[in-house]
Amino acid sequence: MSQIKGKVLKHSSQTRTMHWVHLICFLILGLTGIAFYWDIGIIYKIFGGPANASLVHRWTAVIFTAGPAIYILLNFDRFSKFIDTISSFTKDDIQWLKIMGGYIPFLKGNVPPQDKYNAGQKLLGWLVIIGCILFVLTGFPMWLWRHEVSAVFLKMCYTIHFWDAIIMILAVAGHFFLAAIHPVSRKEFSSMMITGYVDAEFSSHHNEKWFNNLKKLS
Amino acid sequence: MITLQDQGIIQVNNSCKACDHCTFICPTQAISGKIGQKHKINQKICINCGQCLINCPFGAIDDISMVDKVKEALADPEKFVVVQEAPAVRVALGEEFGLAPGTNVKTKMYTALRLLGFDKVYDTEFAADLTIMEEGTELIQRVYNALGVEGFEQAGPLPQFTSCCPAWIKYAEDKYPHILPHISSAKSPQQMFGAVAKTYAAEQLNIDPAKMVVVSVMPCTAKKYECNRPEFIASGYKDVDFVLTTRELAQLIKENNIDFLNLEDGSADKFIGLSTGAATIFGVTGGVMEAALRTAYEILSEKTLDKIEFKAVRGTEPVREATIEIPVKTLGKKLPVNVCVVTGLKHVDNVINDVLAGRSKYHFIEVMNCPGGCINGGGQPIRRDTY
Amino acid sequence: MSVFIEKEGITRRQFFKGAGLITVTAIVAGVFAKIGIDMFKASNAYIEQRISGLYTLDEKMTLRKSHENPEILKLYKDFLSPGDVKPLSEKAHHLLHTKYGNDIPQLIAELKNHQHNAA
Repeated sequence: MSQIKGKVLKHSSQTRTMHWVHLICFLILGLTGIAFYWDIGIIYKIFGGPANASLVHRWTAVIFTAGPAIYILLNFDRFSKFIDTISSFTKDDIQWLKIMGGYIPFLKGNVPPQDKYNAGQKLLGWLVIIGCILFVLTGFPMWLWRHEVSAVFLKMCYTIHFWDAIIMILAVAGHFFLAAIHPVSRKEFSSMMITGYVDAEFSSHHNEKWFNNLKKLS
Repeated sequence: MITLQDQGIIQVNNSCKACDHCTFICPTQAISGKIGQKHKINQKICINCGQCLINCPFGAIDDISMVDKVKEALADPEKFVVVQEAPAVRVALGEEFGLAPGTNVKTKMYTALRLLGFDKVYDTEFAADLTIMEEGTELIQRVYNALGVEGFEQAGPLPQFTSCCPAWIKYAEDKYPHILPHISSAKSPQQMFGAVAKTYAAEQLNIDPAKMVVVSVMPCTAKKYECNRPEFIASGYKDVDFVLTTRELAQLIKENNIDFLNLEDGSADKFIGLSTGAATIFGVTGGVMEAALRTAYEILSEKTLDKIEFKAVRGTEPVREATIEIPVKTLGKKLPVNVCVVTGLKHVDNVINDVLAGRSKYHFIEVMNCPGGCINGGGQPIRRDTY
Repeated sequence: MSVFIEKEGITRRQFFKGAGLITVTAIVAGVFAKIGIDMFKASNAYIEQRISGLYTLDEKMTLRKSHENPEILKLYKDFLSPGDVKPLSEKAHHLLHTKYGNDIPQLIAELKNHQHNAA
């Protein structure tokens, strides 16, 4: 097959900015969160004590919430397309999931053509959306209405918030591995983290259905 | 020697998640900390009410236990151990065994206490009636004094405040010492009981009071502080030796494998165990007031009440007021007695400041630290209801 | 070098999916808030139930006024104010009344004195 030369603009600067903001916030939130749950003195030291760490956690949470909210408002069309993509599951997606895109050593097979996001990324998209909604819904009562809500409700928020964090940290760790370390998938790294572009060669194979619908500027 | 007073009755343990839910609940800001910072209790200003304890979502607050001391006394053949229980205990104890809140388990409670080995099972309600007699008469004397009736110049000023809530007493001593002359000199039912048990009852039973141990079962953690107050030795001994909370009694019952739900009905012992309905309602906000009114009305009017209930003082709003018209036979006129009921110590400051400024219209004020009354005390079963 | 970009515009379907997610999120938030409110109400229900329990118990009792308690009357007649029912008698003051705050040390001294004399 002939090599397709050129590059694809996959993520706009707004998208990349929002991703960076969200990423940095997540790291701070996760780190302080871990410190709270397991009472880790070293992390407390970095932030200047538990009370300060809590202050940082809360205000970072505000940015963590506001960032995507502002992005969605300013990029409603991009956001809508994103939701459309990740909510379309076809036979190709099911097949991809059965072999986990070929990323798992012992699960080999033909990887069917994928859209802008492969089936695994679509699932991660939902995980992140649901996870973030849960963080926000449980987190703000723990801060703003900690006096007003009932003790049981407050404990429930803490419990959900904790398990959400465990799941999300694991998901993000997997996501980071594929995005930055795995020799194949990391080829897309720059598209979200730096330039926004990915090699046309890569997209034509890994995101075939999406690639075939792109416009070509010469 | 570190006494219970020094240690503090209420303590934060390691489970504190610094959620800061408790600081709003504390009437004195004794428990404090920023969110994220393990909270601490300032024992000097803590009034031992335990509201933080029962409201902590993570069970991170404990009350000092005297359970071991009680077990020791029960196991000691030399000791004659008697027990009293507050009204509020009998409608909450059942919750620790799966019953709905408000279920009356009074008779099973008596039986359980006998099975635990108490030599005599009495009832704090007896002493609550005693409190009404003493405090009611004191109020009448203060009223006569205020009206200029001769012979009552020694009486204290109006309005009179109730004195059965030890959290309220410590609050007044710490924060409003000038209100102290207004507080009734009557002891709380718990303490009256102890004094009477080690004198009158000991005499009637032919027991050496030095060998008598008085245990009380209370819905309240502040009662642990109260029983240790150094001035409560009027009997010649420590009037009330140990206090168990409702929770601790349930724990003892379970430890002894007593099948609480299937116990037979029991009853209290003679001399200092008989209750009335007036005593029973001491456990709710407005109950002390109503009990006092039932007696004061009949004593002053020398008539029997048609309607025994004083619904005007009932309810759960934090500050309630009512005017009760009492016909006073000896004066030949009707007195409009203005009463006030405070539940939830956070709401008492305005009432106190009015009194100190001389602009209070009240004659008698009932104060209970815990919202709803003792039935919602720091020693009661902890609820985690979601629906 | 060729640059490939996405085509402009979104379809109606895509718009509704985006708007739909926002709406669903708002609804979920509303449901969560309602749960919080319901849980708050439930968390305090036990107080009224216990209050009601005591008032009900009062209604069932034969004796409902403190001054009619025969054991109380006996206590006064036999012990606190022999021969009569006299609250605030000397014995009653000694056993059943107290002092507060700064008056306590003096009270303790008096009580210890009383013990000493009685002994």
